[in-house]
Parts: sequence; structure tokens; C-alpha cells
Amino acid sequence: MSMSSPSPIPPPNDRRSSRSSSNANAVDDTDDRMTVGGPPSSPSPLALRVSNSPSSKRRHSRSVKVPPEYQSLDYVSTPDSNLVCLICHTPFDKPVQLSCEHYFCRLCLDHAWALQPNGRRTCPTCRTAVETDQDIRPVPKIIETMLNELFVKCPNTKAGCSWLAHRANVHDHVMLYCEHTPVECSATDCRLQISQKDFHKGCLHYTVSCENCHTSLMKKDLEEHQRNVCANRLTCCTLCAAEVLRLDLKPHINNTCPKHVIPCQGTIVGCKFMAERAEVVLHEVSCAMATMAPHFREQQARIERNEARLEPLTRKVGILEDGLTNITNYLYPANGNDASFPVTDPLDPNDTDPQPDFRLPPASFPTVAPGNDNTPGRPLFDSQVHHLLTLHDSLSEEVSRIANALTDLDGRTNMMIINESQRSKDEMLHANAAISSMRMHLQWLVSATIQQRSSAAGSSTSTGSTSASGASGSGSGATRGTSARPGPGPSATLQSPFRRLSDSNRQDTKL
Amino acid sequence: MHDKLPPGITLIKADDFQTWLMDIRVIDSNPIYQGETYRLKFTFSPQYPIEAPEVTFQKTETHPIPWHPHIYSNGIICLDLLDRSGWSPVHNVESVCVSLQSMLTSNTKKERPAGDENFVRYNTQRPRDISFVFHDNQV
Repeated sequence: MSMSSPSPIPPPNDRRSSRSSSNANAVDDTDDRMTVGGPPSSPSPLALRVSNSPSSKRRHSRSVKVPPEYQSLDYVSTPDSNLVCLICHTPFDKPVQLSCEHYFCRLCLDHAWALQPNGRRTCPTCRTAVETDQDIRPVPKIIETMLNELFVKCPNTKAGCSWLAHRANVHDHVMLYCEHTPVECSATDCRLQISQKDFHKGCLHYTVSCENCHTSLMKKDLEEHQRNVCANRLTCCTLCAAEVLRLDLKPHINNTCPKHVIPCQGTIVGCKFMAERAEVVLHEVSCAMATMAPHFREQQARIERNEARLEPLTRKVGILEDGLTNITNYLYPANGNDASFPVTDPLDPNDTDPQPDFRLPPASFPTVAPGNDNTPGRPLFDSQVHHLLTLHDSLSEEVSRIANALTDLDGRTNMMIINESQRSKDEMLHANAAISSMRMHLQWLVSATIQQRSSAAGSSTSTGSTSASGASGSGSGATRGTSARPGPGPSATLQSPFRRLSDSNRQDTKL
Repeated sequence: MHDKLPPGITLIKADDFQTWLMDIRVIDSNPIYQGETYRLKFTFSPQYPIEAPEVTFQKTETHPIPWHPHIYSNGIICLDLLDRSGWSPVHNVESVCVSLQSMLTSNTKKERPAGDENFVRYNTQRPRDISFVFHDNQV
């Protein structure tokens, strides 16, 4: 590594700077053996190395470095506004002075004048005409010195260069010494750029996979990746010098690193001790607050849990209160105290006289003792809740009493119905019995009549006695009904009471 | 560069180097511009600051176009500073805003330029391509 480290920066020296840059220009034009801007008088180790690499001679004409632009340099501190060009707003680069004593970068002036109509040249600030080139004069030496002594960062800072020095040296640094200056790749068929320090390694523009994290990247970036980025490589903890994977570095620092500054565990109880972890561990053995900390944490957690549980309960109580108010209003609409009735009652001295129809036991008003309701010590909330609870109890008692009464009533009604129906059933049995006995009588009567008629028919075929015909008339009246009435003829008036009787009998049997 | 802006000038949007929005107010008690804020739109070309930016007033619900004999009702400003011949690369957004502020402050006429209606109706050119004739040296 000592070979690749840049040689000491030469002291700021205008003469040297101009000479080396002219030499660098000469390289491209004439000297065939010279490579990458190596000054002939003092070849740096880097230049020597580059010139010794096999491919460099062949390719020297392509290894052109881009000189740094002052306007895009990163200045370490905000430059004095008097050293800033009003056109490009960066510290002057090759400043010139106009006859009106306004200063500008030479290039900025050229750009501005190129656009001015018909070749007129005026001072951008005051519009004083610039007639001849004699009006454009160099700036005082002190201005140039001040500009040269501005501190700038190397333009290759992003590529890893940490160089920081006077602006006068930045050109030499970039063109000669900076290892991170991009140059064209040494391979003939590769047009990509590579850092100066990797130039001799040949073309590194091919894709490789990091052996630790398997990310694909270019060979030229591999070293940088493994040194600073790759999460699966060992790295040194900046605090305790322990070797851990970069992946684990953060957890290591947060949880185990003995050099990481952390507060004592007792900080939640008020311990102010703060030191490296190793010291804190020793301290915590003796710190009373650290000993209590886990206990406090547990308590805290419990309190939080309880608070979380309390919230739905509070909501529930609110809902129940509303429901209770509704029920009360529904049950005792005559009270006229609206919804406020159960809540304000115990607090309203005028209402302490319990109304007779408000069927609450006196015990449900524990706080209504006169003069007690304004006691500041007693929280309003407690008495109200208590009142509500007792109210609720008495109401549920009431409800159960009503329920009992209902059951009672129900049983009695049932008994009554059963008794009543039993009686009806008995009566019906009696009626049935009477009916069946009547049916038997009728049958007997009918069979007797039929017998009588059949025996009479046997004798009337020869005699035809009128007495028999009278009997048969009554018999036929009994069997054939009304149609038989006109049948008997002359004896009808005499027989009619009989027929009526038989008729009514028949009606009975039909029933 | 724009850390501390002069009073009455506010940076609204400067996300890129193409378009910036600035708000300006007239801070003295000129009755024409009392209580109003105007929005300026800066459009930069790649050649800025060598080339002048295009500066116009933008009309929005809360930002009217100020009355001025050199400001057209579509927001185009007739000011030599913003023209090719009058522009100087030492100007910047801040100095342009200050110039416009002072141009409004010194105005006493609540009117539009002559031919405003025709210009607004028929103009299709971009402000930088319009050749203004600068006749009024009072502002």
C-alpha cells in the first residue's frame, strides 16, 4: 500500500504549477514515452508505476484526465462575497478587472458579451462601455493570492479521496497525484472509466458476485463494496474494536457494545447516571433505582393494562345509565322529572321527600341526607353511581315480584279452567247416557210397532178391519213421516195427537 | 443565495432550475396595490444567467395581475431589464423581484398599456421573443 499512497503534495507554488501543467500538455503532443501526466522532473511513485505497466505505453494518448473546474469545486467554507463572480456566483476563476473596477471571471465575461447585440461590450454591472482590450486588466496580486488560498475538497471526494487543501494545488492534485481521478480503462475495447489507482490492474469492468452477500457488481467496485458496504463482512466496531458482521453492527452497538454510552436502567425512576455500558452495568449493581426499575416497569405495564380495561367499562356504565333512565321514565312517567329524575334526585334537597308511589326502599338514597349533598369531599360521581345501582336493584326486585305474581295468577287460572272443564265433561257424560237410554227406548218401541204391524198384516189381508187400519195409520205415520199424513183420509183428525207424539219422538232420536 | 430575502418577497417554489415561483408584495402604502400579493413565474433557459429569464405575472384565485401601464393583463411585463438588451448577467431572481417591486411602488396610474386588449388577444409569442419599444424612462 505504501506504493500507491500519493507522494506529499508540493507546497503551493505558482511557478511549479504552471510548469507542470505545461508539461502535462506536452505529454499529449510530443513525448511518446510519457504517460498520464507524469512530470518529467519529479516522477511520483504512481506515475512510475503507471509507466511501468505493460499497457500504458500503447495507450497513453487515451489516458486523458479532465482538469478540475473551479466553478464546480466544493469549497470548505462559504467564500467571501467579495471574491465571488456576480455572473457564476462562485469564487473567481482567472479574474479580470474592467475599467470601472468591476471584477469578473474571464470566461463569464466572454459568455456574457457573446450574447450582446452587435458586438457591444459593456460592464454587466454598471454598463460602462468596454472599448478596447486595454480596458480589460489583470486583477491585483492580492486578489489572486486570496483566491489561491481558498480551501477546497478534491473533486473526487465521492470516489473516496479525502484530499483538502488550497485551491492553487487542486489542479496538480487531480492531474498527477489523486488516485481516484477517473481515467479511461486500459483495455483497448473498453470505453468506461476507472480510478487512477486501478488503472494498472487491467480492465475491471466485468460483473462479479460478492462472495459474502452475492450482490452483483463490477469488479472495480468490489473492493470498495467489501470494505464499506457489504453487510455480510466482518467490520470493526468503532467504539469497542470488536469484530462483528456489518449486518450486526447496529444491534451490537445498541445491545452489547461495552463502550456504547447508555443511561442507567433506573432512568425511568429518575437516576441520572449515564456512561459506557460496562460502567453502567457496575453502577446498576449498587443503584437502588436500577434495582427497582423492573418492578416499576411491571407496575407501569399493569397500570396501563388496567387503564385500557377501564375504558370499555366506563362506556358500558354510560350505556347502562342511559338504559336505566329510559326504563325509569317508562315505568314512572307521572313523576314528570324527565330523564334527570334518577340522577339529580339525590342531589336535589327539594326532592328528598320520597314520593309514595316511587317504590324504592329508602336505602336506595344513601346520600340524600339533608345537608349532605353539597359536601365537597364526596365525589359527585360516586353517589350517583351508588344511587343508580340501588335503583337498579330495587327495580329488579320489583320485576321479580311481578313475575312471581304473574306465575301465581297463571296457576290459579289454570286450575279454574281445569275444574270448569271437568264439570262440563261430567255433564256431557250424563247427557250421553240419557241419549243412549232414549235410543234404546225408541228401538224397543220401533221393534214393537213393526212386530205388531207384521202380525196385523197377516190378519188384515182377509178381514181389513178399520181398527187395524187406524193402528197402521199411526204406524205408517211413524215410519213415513209427513208424506203419510194425507194418506189415511177420514181418520186423520182422530189420529193427529198420536202422530204428533211419534213425530216428536222421531225428532228426539234424530238428535 | 436566497437565505435572506428582502421584505415583501417570498420564495414559493424552486424545485429545479427551470421554473421558480415567487410572491411579491408592495410594502409601502401605494393604494393601487394595497393588500394584494402577486405571483411571479421565472422560467430559466440553460444559458441563465448569461441569458435573461422569462418573467411574467401569474394570475391565480388569490393573486391578481397588478395594474400598471407596462404590465399587460395576461401577465407579460414590459421592462427593459428583462429584455435581451437590458439584461445583465449580474442580475438574479432577487434583484429582478426588487426591481419589479420598485416599479410597482413608483406607479400612480391604475391602467393597462395602450392596446392591451389587442395584444392579449392576438399575442402568441413568448415574452422573450417580443420586441418591446422602451419609451418610458420614468419607471
